[in-house]
Amino acid sequence: MLRFDFLEARNLRHAIALLQRHGNDSRVVAGSTDFLVRWRQGFWRPAAVVNLKGIASLGRISFSPRNGLRLGALATVQSVESNAHIRRRYQALATGATSFAGVQVRNLATIGGNVCNASPAGDTLPALLAFDAQCTIAGPQGTRTLPLTEFFLGPGRTALEQGEVLTQLTLPAPMPRTGSLYIKHSPRGAMDIATVGVASVVTLEEDGRTCRDARIALGAVGPTPFRATEAENLLRGRTLTPGLLGQAAQAAEAAAKPIDDVRGSAGYRRAMVEALTTRTLQHALQMASGRAVTFEEQRRLAVQTAF
Amino acid sequence: MNKQPLAITVNGHERQIFVAPYYSLLDTLRDELRLTGTKKGCDEGDCGACTVILDGKPVTSCLVLAMSAQGSDVTTVEGLATPDALHPVQQAFIERGGLQCGYCTPGLIMAAVGLLQDNPRPSAEEVKFAIGGNLCRCTGYTKVVEAILLAADRMASQC
Amino acid sequence: MATFKVLEQNNPRVDAWEKVTGRATYAGDVYLPGMLMCKTLGSSRSHARIVSIDTSRAQALPGVRAVITGVDFPEIRFGSGALKDRYIMARDKVYYIGEPVAAVAAEDEITAEEALALIDVQYEDLEPVVDPLTALRAGSPSVHPDLESYEGYGFTIEGGNICTLLDADRGDVEQAFQDADHVFEDTFRSQGINQGFLEPMACVANVEANGRLTVWASTQGPYQVRAQLASVLDMPLSNIKVIPMELGGGFGAKLRLAFEAFPSLLSMKTGSPVKLINNREEVFTQNGPRHPVTNYLKTGVNKDGTIVSREAYTIFDVGAYLGAGPNSGIGHGLGAYDIPNFRLRSYAAYTNKVYVGSYRASGVADMTFAVESHMDMIAHNLGMDPLDFRLKNAIKEGDTAVNGSRVPRNGLFECLAAVKERLGLPRELPEGHGVGIALCEWRSGTGPSTASISVNEDGTVSLLTGSVDISGSDTSLASIAAESLGIAMDQVIVARRDTDLAPFTGPSGGSRIVYSQGKAVELAAEDARNKLLALAADRLGVPQDALACADGSVYVQDNPPQSLTLGQLAAMSVTSRSGPIVGNASLSTLPYAPVFSAQAAEVQVDRDTGQVKLTRYVQCQDVGVAINPMAVEGQLEGGAVQGIGRALTEDMQFDPETGAVRNPSFASYLMPLALDLPELETLLVRVPSEDGPFGARAVAEPPGFGPPAAIANAIYDAVGVRIRELPLSGERVLAALRGEGNDVAYIGDELQELKRAEGLAV
Ligand SMILES: Cc1cc2nc3c(=O)[nH]c(=O)nc-3n(C[C@H](O)[C@H](O)[C@H](O)COP(=O)(O)OP(=O)(O)OC[C@H]3O[C@@H](n4cnc5c(N)ncnc54)[C@H](O)[C@@H]3O)c2cc1C
Ligand code: FES
Ligand code: FES
Repeated sequence: MLRFDFLEARNLRHAIALLQRHGNDSRVVAGSTDFLVRWRQGFWRPAAVVNLKGIASLGRISFSPRNGLRLGALATVQSVESNAHIRRRYQALATGATSFAGVQVRNLATIGGNVCNASPAGDTLPALLAFDAQCTIAGPQGTRTLPLTEFFLGPGRTALEQGEVLTQLTLPAPMPRTGSLYIKHSPRGAMDIATVGVASVVTLEEDGRTCRDARIALGAVGPTPFRATEAENLLRGRTLTPGLLGQAAQAAEAAAKPIDDVRGSAGYRRAMVEALTTRTLQHALQMASGRAVTFEEQRRLAVQTAF
Repeated sequence: MNKQPLAITVNGHERQIFVAPYYSLLDTLRDELRLTGTKKGCDEGDCGACTVILDGKPVTSCLVLAMSAQGSDVTTVEGLATPDALHPVQQAFIERGGLQCGYCTPGLIMAAVGLLQDNPRPSAEEVKFAIGGNLCRCTGYTKVVEAILLAADRMASQC
Repeated sequence: MATFKVLEQNNPRVDAWEKVTGRATYAGDVYLPGMLMCKTLGSSRSHARIVSIDTSRAQALPGVRAVITGVDFPEIRFGSGALKDRYIMARDKVYYIGEPVAAVAAEDEITAEEALALIDVQYEDLEPVVDPLTALRAGSPSVHPDLESYEGYGFTIEGGNICTLLDADRGDVEQAFQDADHVFEDTFRSQGINQGFLEPMACVANVEANGRLTVWASTQGPYQVRAQLASVLDMPLSNIKVIPMELGGGFGAKLRLAFEAFPSLLSMKTGSPVKLINNREEVFTQNGPRHPVTNYLKTGVNKDGTIVSREAYTIFDVGAYLGAGPNSGIGHGLGAYDIPNFRLRSYAAYTNKVYVGSYRASGVADMTFAVESHMDMIAHNLGMDPLDFRLKNAIKEGDTAVNGSRVPRNGLFECLAAVKERLGLPRELPEGHGVGIALCEWRSGTGPSTASISVNEDGTVSLLTGSVDISGSDTSLASIAAESLGIAMDQVIVARRDTDLAPFTGPSGGSRIVYSQGKAVELAAEDARNKLLALAADRLGVPQDALACADGSVYVQDNPPQSLTLGQLAAMSVTSRSGPIVGNASLSTLPYAPVFSAQAAEVQVDRDTGQVKLTRYVQCQDVGVAINPMAVEGQLEGGAVQGIGRALTEDMQFDPETGAVRNPSFASYLMPLALDLPELETLLVRVPSEDGPFGARAVAEPPGFGPPAAIANAIYDAVGVRIRELPLSGERVLAALRGEGNDVAYIGDELQELKRAEGLAV
């Protein structure tokens, strides 16, 4: 049966109740950008969809130095891209969002949908990982939180249990002297799935030279997006020289486990991990050292892959 | 799965219709309301031909479930011109040769209208970014970008 | 340049208003009362015998009105040329994944789709052949074992899967190679390409009360659809009316019968109108794209840079059926150069893939990539400037073209000069940046063309032609009529046509509309003007040659106030002895009129990623006269961007085991977006053609030929690596930069076998 029923969730409790009532035959929809495509392609065939879009409270974005960034799961990718706090403090997330599809899709797609869809190539995911995002999940048993690193289980597979809904992502406030960038490698400047995506976050000590913290996350080079922890460890507490960045990039490359597909061979993807890790680290470092980079420049860096 | 009631404002008219729960906004506009100006090029979000303005924002209507647009406000290409005058974007597309086969044109025009609402004075780069979700196989985009910049100029000097 | 009143002006398109308001009606916009929706089931096997098809469960689904399979059609093979190698729907065998095996008509689309899932097809697999080089080898499994029994079979070379051979020869090639100072050999490969039109194939078919079939179609060739439909339905051609609707892009893909037969037969079975719209995946998997082409070139050159001989072999894959026919690229194996001795061969092989369609001068872009890359490589090898090397060998007026015609006057040298000047060539660019050129060659298309112009009593004229509007051709035809008759553009009404109404015309494609169809309009306008002059001479009492026709009137040259308006004359004509004024023209072919274009790309190559960024694109084309400069530029820009996609990102990939299309969507078949492109610089040269309307030449195809070679040459200039395979992806460039490229395999040795079969000494 191709047809499905449309169920409007009035609030979170109602959504969970509907999901419980319809069980495995039902599926949550938010922006429905993944859903409708996969339904038409025959991959997903639910008997009913539970629409979350009407739950306005799930779409908020707020920032405070104490609580960090709170992203409601229904916040659209466009609202993430244009949020002033995110542009200022979480550049890699803003660039991830701006490199995403085209404006018409960004106006529909939600950040929660990007996370729950768990594509290895999801463009907001490396930045969310690199900023240590925590997931808030509501379900029949109440609410739980989970680090995003534990959320992804495989392509399209997540830690969500039957009847659960992702409600919020929380990102700690970055420390001072932090810079970050996401670069998406794809043949086209828009409307393209990442061949490789890399997000790097760099925080400097007060001396402006020593690395206090570095976080690197890779997309499209494994069954899930993931953190390149060995590469990060090479950088922490060290002075960031070009040579060291290069070593970290090689460590990231070594951590990548890409596959061959229509977008590129595994070997090419590995080479891209090295190139893009170096580049994202270089730019993140410059931004951490206080160099102002306008959002337009960041976008050019993020989507034009190299230029 | 019976059709369900949908209240939606389209091009300024409040409509009460019944649609199948699995229908997209695009199919609803075309099949139910016979507003066939909005085109289907892929039904996968990849071409932008189905772009409409939904609650103030350009979206690909093939990716919107009609029922999720309950109570929304939609503008399609048919809703731009008044009986006396074309919308400046439409006029500029004609004058600058921004169309050939015309199949992508309604979507490009709606993407442009969406851009100019938010950013009345875009640069050429911003225009290209705003139509980054629209495929056109005929024009090579040069004249499309020129047309949108011309419309922006005219609209900005009007107010 | 002659002065014009209408031509050479940027008049808006005649259909612009309808298109910007969403009122233009495409086939998919046709809704009829009681209309059913049709969906087709595609084969899941590449090569298999159909053991059985059980449609009973589908038939029983509520809302389903009819299900058809191949055996519901008359047992008639058809084809686009002489060879009839194909059934409209698979009967006993399937030849590629996606080939239609059944179709359903249901009350709505989702019911039709649900019904497809209930159709049970049993297959018995046969061994597929996917690679054309393998297919050509003796002993390969056969795609069409009974080929020789097909109607229209007449190939000169027997064996396996060879289905066409095109050839052209001149001089003594072997001797010339022996005598040459240098001989260069190269193999190039270009990828599978989709035409990428935005409007999927669509049609509505309806059996009218009188038994005639009406088809609202998305087509470039309504008369071709009518003829092929009549043949597969085994019904008189006169019982079919094809109404070509607004066309949302075709580029060659919509020249012939596509899927119109399915809703037609379903309409006959149900008595209701039936609509079919392809989804994008069906467009990619069922509707003839272009397959990868391997081009082998061998060139003999003397020390001074004079080319003396050329051998070119094209290995071409037609897929399961001859489809759009052989690859015409080989006819362009000399490029835009005068080469005294040549041997040109194009082999085509059947494979178990979707059959090929046409696309904007099929095969020529592939060949131009090969020839213009090869030219660059030779120039570098000889230490010559690439542009000088081209100038030295370029074909000139009075030379003999590859087809044996004398080359008439043309603007080749002017085009090269204009590009050279615009870029300031030769030019040194910073490290990582490079510039490359390509010279492109084509001809204006001809073919049967008709036009009829009637003058209305209000002074307007109605123009009727059978050609479908592509690329603004209606606007161009209206301009030609207006210019000829001395009236304004808005005084020309372009009639909506269908195959009942309009006189037979060849399809809209192959760069023939403005050149040939435009000529017919010019002649029809002349005919109408002569009739207007004759009538005016009679009524004004002056000799006809004392009169002139301009600004909507016929007047006495020595005494302009003595005049009659076109409206007055039209009104008088109704009761005149000679009758209402109608100008007609009908013609078949026009003489050879070449078209040349010079193109140049500037790129920046990222050494870490291999990614190529196009930073500048300049093209200059000899258009003869610009019927409408804005429209001409639009054609050149659009064409160049298609070529840029071919150069950099577009790549239809086929599974090497099954031949299935691996990337059947716009998400994975990457056509350029606005963001990917630099400002395009378009220059026009005007050397009027000898026979085209007002000197116009064809415009639409050459702009797409140049980008692959121009960009490949620019990459070489930038970073010193030569890429022989399209697309010029980051992955290929990086591999070449790192010296680990898996370059295109040289096929010189494979060719020995083919040459032996041709009876050549090897
Ligand atoms: C044309 C096109 C281009 C695209 N380009 C990109 C791109 O460049 N980069 C990129 O990363 N992605 C891209 N995508 C994929 C898609 O847009 C994103 O994954 C998007 O973020 C999904 O969000 P959504 O709200 O539309 O999700 P939906 O389609 O509504 O849902 C996606 C999945 O997540 C589940 N889900 C959604 N929200 C929740 C929730 N709150 N709790 C539990 N489960 C939930 C759904 O059940 C479903 O399984 C593209 C898609 C299309 C169609
Ligand atoms: S039809 Fe919606 S994006 Fe193509
Ligand atoms: S005008 Fe034809 S696709 Fe844009």
